[in-house]
Amino acid sequence: MPFKNLLPFVFVILYTSAHAQVRNLYAYQDLSHFYYEKQKDSLKKAWICPDAFKEREAQRKYREIWDRRTDAVIGALTNNDYVHDREVYSYIDDILRQIIEANKQMVPVRPLLLIDRSPAINAYSTGGNVLAINIGIIAFATSREELALILAHELSHNILHHVETSMYLQAQWLGSDEYKKSLNAVLDSKYERYSRLHKVMQGFTFSRSRHDRSHESEADSLAVILLKKSNIPFNARYFLRLDSSDMILKQPLRHPLKDYFAGYHVPYEEGWAQRRSKGLSSRTYSFSDTASLEDSLKTHPDCIVRYNKTKNLSTPNARWTPIPAPILEKVNKMLVWNLYSSTDLTKCLYRILLLKDKGYTDPWYDFMISNIFSGLYYADRELARFNAIGVVPKEYISRDYFSLQTLLEQIPRDNLKQYCQVMQQQAFWQGLPPAEKDLRTLLQTLALDPDNSEKNKARAAHAFIAGNSTSMYNEFAKNFDK
Amino acid sequence: MSRFPLSLQSLLRALPLLLLAAPAAHAQTKVFKEIAQDMSSQLELIIQDGNLVGYLSFNQLEKISADSFNYKLSIMDENLNDIGAVNFREEKLFLKGVSFEQDVLCLAYVRSNFVDKEFRSNKEFRREKDAAKAELFTQFVNLSGKILATNTVRMDIKPDAQQEYASRKVVGNGVLKHKIQLHNIPGKGFACFYGDDTKNNLLVFNTAGRLTWKKVITEDAGDFTMLTSGTEVDLLLKKKGKPEEGGFEIISYNTRDSTTYPKFLLKDKKGNSLKVLAFDNDPVTGKPFVSGLVIDPVKGTRKTANTVTGLAHRNYLGVFNISLNGHTRKDIQPVFTYWTDAAKSGLFDEEGYCGSAGAFLYPKSSFRDYQGNTWFVGSGYHMGIRPGAILGTAISPLFLFIYTGLSISRIKYYQSRNIMVVKQDAKGALSLENTIPALKTEKVFPRTLTYTCDQRSYYNVTNSDTKTDYVVIDDTKNIYIYNTNQKKIARTIPHKDGNSLYYVFPAKEGHVMVSEYNKKEKQTRLSIEAL
Repeated sequence: MPFKNLLPFVFVILYTSAHAQVRNLYAYQDLSHFYYEKQKDSLKKAWICPDAFKEREAQRKYREIWDRRTDAVIGALTNNDYVHDREVYSYIDDILRQIIEANKQMVPVRPLLLIDRSPAINAYSTGGNVLAINIGIIAFATSREELALILAHELSHNILHHVETSMYLQAQWLGSDEYKKSLNAVLDSKYERYSRLHKVMQGFTFSRSRHDRSHESEADSLAVILLKKSNIPFNARYFLRLDSSDMILKQPLRHPLKDYFAGYHVPYEEGWAQRRSKGLSSRTYSFSDTASLEDSLKTHPDCIVRYNKTKNLSTPNARWTPIPAPILEKVNKMLVWNLYSSTDLTKCLYRILLLKDKGYTDPWYDFMISNIFSGLYYADRELARFNAIGVVPKEYISRDYFSLQTLLEQIPRDNLKQYCQVMQQQAFWQGLPPAEKDLRTLLQTLALDPDNSEKNKARAAHAFIAGNSTSMYNEFAKNFDK
Repeated sequence: MSRFPLSLQSLLRALPLLLLAAPAAHAQTKVFKEIAQDMSSQLELIIQDGNLVGYLSFNQLEKISADSFNYKLSIMDENLNDIGAVNFREEKLFLKGVSFEQDVLCLAYVRSNFVDKEFRSNKEFRREKDAAKAELFTQFVNLSGKILATNTVRMDIKPDAQQEYASRKVVGNGVLKHKIQLHNIPGKGFACFYGDDTKNNLLVFNTAGRLTWKKVITEDAGDFTMLTSGTEVDLLLKKKGKPEEGGFEIISYNTRDSTTYPKFLLKDKKGNSLKVLAFDNDPVTGKPFVSGLVIDPVKGTRKTANTVTGLAHRNYLGVFNISLNGHTRKDIQPVFTYWTDAAKSGLFDEEGYCGSAGAFLYPKSSFRDYQGNTWFVGSGYHMGIRPGAILGTAISPLFLFIYTGLSISRIKYYQSRNIMVVKQDAKGALSLENTIPALKTEKVFPRTLTYTCDQRSYYNVTNSDTKTDYVVIDDTKNIYIYNTNQKKIARTIPHKDGNSLYYVFPAKEGHVMVSEYNKKEKQTRLSIEAL
């Protein structure tokens, strides 16, 4: 039989392709603490506060603000707030490169691009030619052109030196005689000192927000120019989509909650998801300060204004390039894992259910659901279930999200243990790579081992790390390897 | 599991605030210090029908005139999430009670122009003393943040002042004879009780904030405990006299029209006094019940009455519970179980000694469950002999009578090694549901006052949905959460675990609030955990 010799190769190919779906998203060493080790030092050296003020006091304050910015960025790098996943990074960097190459005059030096692990739908420029794009906004984007607009917008902040200007203005105000006089006036007054001080601070905040708004508008206008030069179409409608970015937890599920658990053959009682509380959270309240999310408090205020200002600049009859499915899937998984490792378990589970609604069927999501229940049972053991759930008031979430967080809160401990045990025995585990299986062993020890000692947890974490030195799950295991 | 600290974005967002605060803190610390002097904050629980439904933070922000302040009430739900705030201006206020009924919050304050006021000298205080005033100030706030109504009732509090040692400042002071108690009346409104220098006042308000009726309580008592049910307001009075632990009476008023019901004296059929451990609403009927211990008329008045040797010598005759379903004889349903009755089943002997626990029961807590049982929880004390002290007595020379006396007094000791959980069913049958091994207390002399022998404290948590009762037992080393339905400890929380110190507080129904203080990181984490 001529094909007989090929059989082992066929098995290898089949095995590899089965594992390709659930391969590690990124290596532990891709986290910013390791990956940007050298850049941390060079940033520190490069970001030297310029002499901007003649007055010593103002210059001192300017240096304080400047150094605080440096510390914040270095601190975030050390804290693994960023990740350098090769595929995702390359995809984003490729868009950035296209914009920069078409606008070399305005961007003579290539900025440092960072991928922030935050689920928030946002991107930002820190000044000093550094810009960051959140995983949350990549997952939110529907096309390459939307991502290009985000990058062009942040690049514009850098080009226009908005962060530097903002720091300069803050130092100028804090070092000014006007500021000192206004504080002294507060001291001189006998009554209403808090209100007076509040007014002083509010005056500055108002002027800062006025500057910020004009900065946003300037960045939008320049972004459109940058895109046009790069031959990337622009669609102002994106700003309208951005207006609803705070509503992500208000999205309903397609199916009743119990349907998502039916496949795992775990017990489910409707009563667990029904609010039994007699507390104020179940009442109808309408305090003027919490009744609605004011536009100014949104992650992205003024979206309608921004849309109206730029709608005439939209590219007619443009073609939109969808984000490649593997990139989108990877980003979603990174988002899920990051929510999990920051112990935001309800948000993490809800994200997975929303992704399942969109047709994501990768067993990695089942693996994560199992991790969530193990994590929750572990948190319960450690008297921290409430914090792991992260109860959100009903006005900010959908009815389904509310039911899910109620379920996680009210499911009896014994049933939670059962979920944990049953989930760890599911068939999907068979196809998962060794790192995922090893994580199951670690979670079994954390959640179910009768020996709840720190020593036992550390031993299990150590065993995981020893066998999976490059796995991204190391980040989780490291918490116990002490 | 770890929790990421602030992301960079939130840091950048918070940067302006930090930027404002930090340099200002360097340059103008004085401004912040002086502003902080006028500020204060107080966290109160919002209670309805005995359940925690939310939290309220009462903040004094600033002085706005010689005698008025700006205040802010921050209202949080039972999960500590903010749901709204209310700002208002008033004279100096001291928040004393918060309750909730029909989506209206009722807050009871003492409003005074002399308490906490600084005077330049005693002379100035004496000069202003005549103009001193104190009032009960009640405020009614709805869940839209609107102050629906306020009420003021004059209080008679003798103005006093104390001179601060360091600053020599004279600060005004005043004390209520009986503290303010505020409870909701289901379906009706609120009841408020207090006692000042001249009278004890009981006031009932509707949810619109209107004073429905007011009653001066003429009864003289050392202590008052108020309880409300849908139809009546009850006051448990503790009168002074013998036996010290007895002397309880209950007076009740109709919530609608203040009709006074006949006074109910707490005694058994033989006229023995009763020691009250619980005065609460029955979880099923909502009507009042009272439970506790029957005091021996003779031994209960002796010098050793409240001592641990008294406990072992039948200071108490048994336990009781009385359901107060109304005010006619048939509505009052007492259940007395004497040790002599319990001795028939062999659980206790006639002295109150429980053989299976090897101890005498000293209950500190009592409650009624959904099945109509009454529970008594407390330390079990056993008597021991020190052989060394017997030997010391035997060999001591008679002329060293002090040494002999000391040796004799050391022969007997009492100690608690466990916590006893005893159930009295609806018919009065007693059963020892469990003994929980606890940290041994010090060995004490027989004449030690029993309530000083251990530092254990108890409270019960109920889950009305699953009809489950838990007892939280706060012992020296561990906190035990005992499930009465399953007859087992649901959780054991050590007070100290590594660098963390744990405490447990009441929280929303069926939950406890666990506070973890990390000594190393100097951080406190709060978690509201289901039982």
